[in-house]
Amino acid sequence: MTDAEFRDAYRAHKDVLYRFARRMTDSAEAAEDIVHDAYLAVWRTTSKFDSARGTLRSFLLGVTRNLALQRLRRDRPHDALEEDASIAGPIDLAGLERAQIVARAVATLTPLQREALILAEYEELPLDEIARATNAELAAVKSRLHRARENLRRMLAPLLETKGAVHGTNR
Amino acid sequence: MEPTDDPKLRKLLHEWKVENAPRSLDERVLGERRPWWTSLLRGSVRVPIPIALTCAVLLVWMTAALVRPRPASPPGDSEFQPVRDAQVRIIRSAHADR
Repeated sequence: MTDAEFRDAYRAHKDVLYRFARRMTDSAEAAEDIVHDAYLAVWRTTSKFDSARGTLRSFLLGVTRNLALQRLRRDRPHDALEEDASIAGPIDLAGLERAQIVARAVATLTPLQREALILAEYEELPLDEIARATNAELAAVKSRLHRARENLRRMLAPLLETKGAVHGTNR
Repeated sequence: MEPTDDPKLRKLLHEWKVENAPRSLDERVLGERRPWWTSLLRGSVRVPIPIALTCAVLLVWMTAALVRPRPASPPGDSEFQPVRDAQVRIIRSAHADR
Protein backbone atom coordinates (compact mmCIF):
# COMPACT_ATOMS: atom_id res chain seq x y z
CA MET A 1 0.00 0.00 0.00
CA THR A 2 1.50 3.31 -1.03
CA ASP A 3 1.37 6.39 1.09
CA ALA A 4 -1.24 7.94 -1.19
CA GLU A 5 -3.39 4.81 -1.04
CA PHE A 6 -3.17 4.77 2.71
CA ARG A 7 -4.21 8.41 2.95
CA ASP A 8 -7.14 7.75 0.63
CA ALA A 9 -8.18 4.74 2.68
CA TYR A 10 -7.90 6.76 5.85
CA ARG A 11 -10.00 9.66 4.62
CA ALA A 12 -12.60 7.39 3.02
CA HIS A 13 -13.28 5.20 6.06
CA LYS A 14 -12.13 7.01 9.17
CA ASP A 15 -15.59 8.31 10.08
CA VAL A 16 -17.27 4.93 9.75
CA LEU A 17 -14.61 3.29 11.86
CA TYR A 18 -14.66 6.02 14.46
CA ARG A 19 -18.44 6.07 14.83
CA PHE A 20 -18.44 2.28 15.11
CA ALA A 21 -15.74 2.26 17.77
CA ARG A 22 -17.40 5.18 19.54
CA ARG A 23 -20.70 3.36 19.86
CA MET A 24 -19.06 0.06 20.76
CA THR A 25 -17.07 1.53 23.63
CA ASP A 26 -19.21 4.57 24.44
CA SER A 27 -15.96 6.48 24.84
CA ALA A 28 -14.51 9.09 22.50
CA GLU A 29 -11.02 8.55 23.87
CA ALA A 30 -11.18 4.80 23.44
CA ALA A 31 -12.60 5.17 19.95
CA GLU A 32 -9.74 7.43 18.88
CA ASP A 33 -7.16 5.00 20.27
CA ILE A 34 -8.82 2.06 18.57
CA VAL A 35 -9.05 3.68 15.15
CA HIS A 36 -5.47 4.91 15.43
CA ASP A 37 -4.25 1.41 16.26
CA ALA A 38 -6.37 -0.11 13.51
CA TYR A 39 -4.90 2.09 10.79
CA LEU A 40 -1.37 1.58 12.04
CA ALA A 41 -1.91 -2.16 12.05
CA VAL A 42 -3.16 -2.01 8.49
CA TRP A 43 -0.23 0.18 7.44
CA ARG A 44 2.28 -2.23 8.88
CA THR A 45 0.66 -5.44 7.62
CA THR A 46 -1.09 -4.52 4.40
CA SER A 47 -0.13 -7.86 2.91
CA LYS A 48 -2.96 -9.41 4.93
CA PHE A 49 -5.66 -7.55 3.02
CA ASP A 50 -7.06 -9.73 0.28
CA SER A 51 -9.38 -7.83 -2.03
CA ALA A 52 -10.91 -11.10 -3.20
CA ARG A 53 -12.32 -11.68 0.27
CA GLY A 54 -14.09 -8.37 0.61
CA THR A 55 -13.87 -4.64 0.50
CA LEU A 56 -11.23 -2.61 2.25
CA ARG A 57 -13.97 -1.17 4.45
CA SER A 58 -14.93 -4.65 5.65
CA PHE A 59 -11.29 -5.40 6.34
CA LEU A 60 -10.81 -2.19 8.29
CA LEU A 61 -14.02 -2.76 10.21
CA GLY A 62 -12.81 -6.23 11.09
CA VAL A 63 -9.55 -4.90 12.49
CA THR A 64 -11.38 -2.15 14.36
CA ARG A 65 -13.90 -4.60 15.68
CA ASN A 66 -11.20 -6.91 17.05
CA LEU A 67 -9.47 -4.02 18.79
CA ALA A 68 -12.77 -2.82 20.24
CA LEU A 69 -13.57 -6.28 21.59
CA GLN A 70 -10.10 -6.51 23.12
CA ARG A 71 -10.71 -3.20 24.80
CA LEU A 72 -14.06 -4.32 26.12
CA ARG A 73 -12.58 -7.58 27.42
CA ARG A 74 -9.80 -5.63 29.10
CA ASP A 75 -12.22 -3.23 30.76
CA ARG A 76 -14.85 -5.83 31.62
CA PRO A 77 -13.08 -9.19 31.67
CA HIS A 78 -15.93 -11.07 33.29
CA ASP A 79 -18.57 -10.20 30.71
CA ALA A 80 -19.21 -12.79 28.03
CA LEU A 81 -19.25 -11.68 24.43
CA GLU A 82 -22.43 -13.54 23.75
CA GLU A 83 -25.09 -15.17 25.82
CA ASP A 84 -27.61 -17.26 24.05
CA ALA A 85 -30.35 -16.50 26.53
CA SER A 86 -29.45 -12.91 27.20
CA ILE A 87 -32.50 -10.87 27.97
CA ALA A 88 -31.83 -7.31 28.83
CA GLY A 89 -33.36 -5.98 31.96
CA PRO A 90 -34.96 -2.58 32.38
CA ILE A 91 -32.76 0.45 32.54
CA ASP A 92 -33.12 3.38 34.86
CA LEU A 93 -34.59 6.24 32.86
CA ALA A 94 -34.67 8.84 35.58
CA GLY A 95 -32.94 12.07 34.66
CA LEU A 96 -31.66 10.95 31.28
CA GLU A 97 -32.17 12.48 27.89
CA ARG A 98 -33.63 10.25 25.21
CA ALA A 99 -30.30 9.98 23.40
CA GLN A 100 -28.60 9.00 26.63
CA ILE A 101 -31.23 6.36 27.25
CA VAL A 102 -30.67 4.89 23.81
CA ALA A 103 -26.89 4.94 24.32
CA ARG A 104 -27.24 3.18 27.64
CA ALA A 105 -29.56 0.61 26.15
CA VAL A 106 -27.16 -0.18 23.31
CA ALA A 107 -24.27 -0.38 25.79
CA THR A 108 -26.26 -2.98 27.74
CA LEU A 109 -26.32 -5.35 24.78
CA THR A 110 -23.73 -8.07 24.58
CA PRO A 111 -20.75 -7.06 22.44
CA LEU A 112 -21.68 -9.34 19.56
CA GLN A 113 -25.27 -8.11 19.49
CA ARG A 114 -24.06 -4.55 19.83
CA GLU A 115 -21.67 -4.70 16.90
CA ALA A 116 -24.30 -6.25 14.64
CA LEU A 117 -26.83 -3.62 15.60
CA ILE A 118 -24.42 -0.71 15.18
CA LEU A 119 -23.26 -1.83 11.75
CA ALA A 120 -26.79 -2.56 10.56
CA GLU A 121 -28.77 0.30 12.05
CA TYR A 122 -26.27 3.12 12.25
CA GLU A 123 -23.85 2.40 9.43
CA GLU A 124 -26.47 0.66 7.26
CA LEU A 125 -24.11 -2.02 6.06
CA PRO A 126 -25.56 -4.99 4.22
CA LEU A 127 -25.72 -8.17 6.24
CA ASP A 128 -23.14 -9.99 4.13
CA GLU A 129 -20.64 -7.21 4.73
CA ILE A 130 -21.38 -7.30 8.45
CA ALA A 131 -20.74 -11.03 8.36
CA ARG A 132 -17.36 -10.50 6.70
CA ALA A 133 -16.38 -7.70 9.04
CA THR A 134 -17.32 -9.67 12.14
CA ASN A 135 -15.99 -12.97 10.83
CA ALA A 136 -19.33 -14.64 11.40
CA GLU A 137 -21.83 -16.61 9.43
CA LEU A 138 -24.72 -14.72 7.88
CA ALA A 139 -27.20 -16.68 9.97
CA ALA A 140 -25.36 -15.76 13.15
CA VAL A 141 -25.45 -12.07 12.21
CA LYS A 142 -29.18 -12.25 11.57
CA SER A 143 -29.73 -14.00 14.88
CA ARG A 144 -27.68 -11.47 16.85
CA LEU A 145 -29.41 -8.59 15.11
CA HIS A 146 -32.81 -10.02 15.87
CA ARG A 147 -31.97 -10.54 19.55
CA ALA A 148 -30.47 -7.07 19.76
CA ARG A 149 -33.62 -5.48 18.40
CA GLU A 150 -35.80 -7.56 20.71
CA ASN A 151 -33.75 -6.50 23.70
CA LEU A 152 -33.84 -2.87 22.68
CA ARG A 153 -37.60 -2.94 22.22
CA ARG A 154 -37.86 -4.33 25.73
CA MET A 155 -35.52 -1.77 27.26
CA LEU A 156 -36.86 1.18 25.31
CA ALA A 157 -40.53 0.28 25.57
CA PRO A 158 -41.28 3.38 27.66
CA LEU A 159 -40.00 5.54 24.84
CA LEU A 160 -41.64 3.61 22.05
CA GLU A 161 -45.31 3.86 21.41
CA THR A 162 -46.70 0.65 22.80
CA LYS A 163 -50.01 1.12 20.98
CA GLY A 164 -49.76 -1.10 17.95
CA ALA A 165 -47.27 -3.53 19.52
CA VAL A 166 -43.94 -4.58 18.30
CA HIS A 167 -45.01 -6.56 15.28
CA GLY A 168 -47.39 -3.97 13.89
CA THR A 169 -50.68 -5.36 15.06
CA ASN A 170 -53.12 -3.11 16.78
CA ARG A 171 -54.47 -4.32 20.04
CA MET B 1 -44.55 -5.19 10.58
CA GLU B 2 -41.56 -7.55 10.29
CA PRO B 3 -39.39 -7.88 13.38
CA THR B 4 -36.43 -6.85 11.27
CA ASP B 5 -38.14 -3.74 9.94
CA ASP B 6 -39.16 -1.45 12.76
CA PRO B 7 -39.29 2.20 11.75
CA LYS B 8 -40.19 3.36 15.25
CA LEU B 9 -37.26 1.59 16.80
CA ARG B 10 -34.95 2.80 14.05
CA LYS B 11 -36.11 6.38 14.50
CA LEU B 12 -35.53 6.15 18.25
CA LEU B 13 -32.11 4.57 17.81
CA HIS B 14 -31.05 7.36 15.51
CA GLU B 15 -31.73 9.95 18.19
CA TRP B 16 -28.37 8.82 19.56
CA LYS B 17 -25.92 10.70 17.40
CA VAL B 18 -22.15 10.54 17.67
CA GLU B 19 -19.58 12.79 16.11
CA ASN B 20 -17.32 11.89 13.21
CA ALA B 21 -13.61 11.29 13.68
CA PRO B 22 -11.94 14.30 15.35
CA ARG B 23 -9.14 16.22 13.68
CA SER B 24 -6.73 15.09 16.37
CA LEU B 25 -6.99 11.61 14.93
CA ASP B 26 -5.71 12.85 11.56
CA GLU B 27 -2.46 14.02 13.04
CA ARG B 28 -2.06 10.86 15.08
CA VAL B 29 -2.57 8.54 12.14
CA LEU B 30 -1.15 10.46 9.19
CA GLY B 31 1.64 12.01 11.20
CA GLU B 32 2.89 8.60 12.29
CA ARG B 33 4.16 7.78 8.83
CA ARG B 34 6.95 10.25 8.19
CA PRO B 35 10.08 9.50 6.14
CA TRP B 36 12.28 6.93 7.85
CA TRP B 37 15.10 9.35 8.57
CA THR B 38 12.87 11.62 10.67
CA SER B 39 12.70 8.83 13.19
CA LEU B 40 16.38 9.51 13.90
CA LEU B 41 15.36 12.95 15.15
CA ARG B 42 12.00 12.15 16.68
CA GLY B 43 12.19 8.51 17.55
CA SER B 44 12.91 6.86 20.84
CA VAL B 45 14.25 3.49 21.83
CA ARG B 46 13.09 1.40 24.73
CA VAL B 47 16.03 0.03 26.65
CA PRO B 48 15.70 -2.64 29.37
CA ILE B 49 16.74 -1.30 32.74
CA PRO B 50 19.63 -3.80 33.29
CA ILE B 51 21.18 -2.79 29.98
CA ALA B 52 20.68 0.89 30.71
CA LEU B 53 22.32 0.54 34.12
CA THR B 54 25.24 -1.44 32.67
CA CYS B 55 25.82 1.21 30.01
CA ALA B 56 25.62 3.96 32.60
CA VAL B 57 28.18 2.23 34.82
CA LEU B 58 30.51 1.69 31.86
CA LEU B 59 30.16 5.32 30.83
CA VAL B 60 30.98 6.58 34.31
CA TRP B 61 33.94 4.23 34.57
CA MET B 62 35.35 5.28 31.19
CA THR B 63 34.87 8.95 31.99
CA ALA B 64 36.62 8.54 35.30
CA ALA B 65 39.48 6.70 33.61
CA LEU B 66 39.98 9.51 31.11
CA VAL B 67 39.80 12.27 33.68
CA ARG B 68 42.08 10.63 36.27
CA PRO B 69 45.62 12.09 36.08
CA ARG B 70 48.17 9.46 35.06
CA PRO B 71 51.14 8.97 37.45
CA ALA B 72 54.58 9.78 36.09
CA SER B 73 56.36 6.60 35.09
CA PRO B 74 60.15 6.15 35.65
CA PRO B 75 62.16 6.33 32.44
CA GLY B 76 63.12 3.02 31.13
CA ASP B 77 66.20 2.08 29.21
CA SER B 78 64.37 2.31 25.97
CA GLU B 79 63.17 5.86 26.48
CA PHE B 80 66.43 7.68 26.98
CA GLN B 81 69.64 7.17 25.08
CA PRO B 82 72.94 8.91 25.86
CA VAL B 83 74.19 11.37 23.31
CA ARG B 84 77.10 9.69 21.53
CA ASP B 85 78.96 12.73 20.27
CA ALA B 86 78.16 15.92 22.10
CA GLN B 87 80.21 18.94 21.14
CA VAL B 88 79.54 21.39 23.92
CA ARG B 89 79.93 25.03 22.99
CA ILE B 90 80.46 27.35 25.91
CA ILE B 91 79.32 30.89 25.36
CA ARG B 92 80.58 33.46 27.79
CA SER B 93 79.17 36.89 28.19
CA ALA B 94 81.08 39.99 26.89
CA HIS B 95 81.83 41.19 30.49
CA ALA B 96 83.77 38.02 31.34
CA ASP B 97 86.79 39.10 29.20
CA ARG B 98 87.43 42.45 31.03
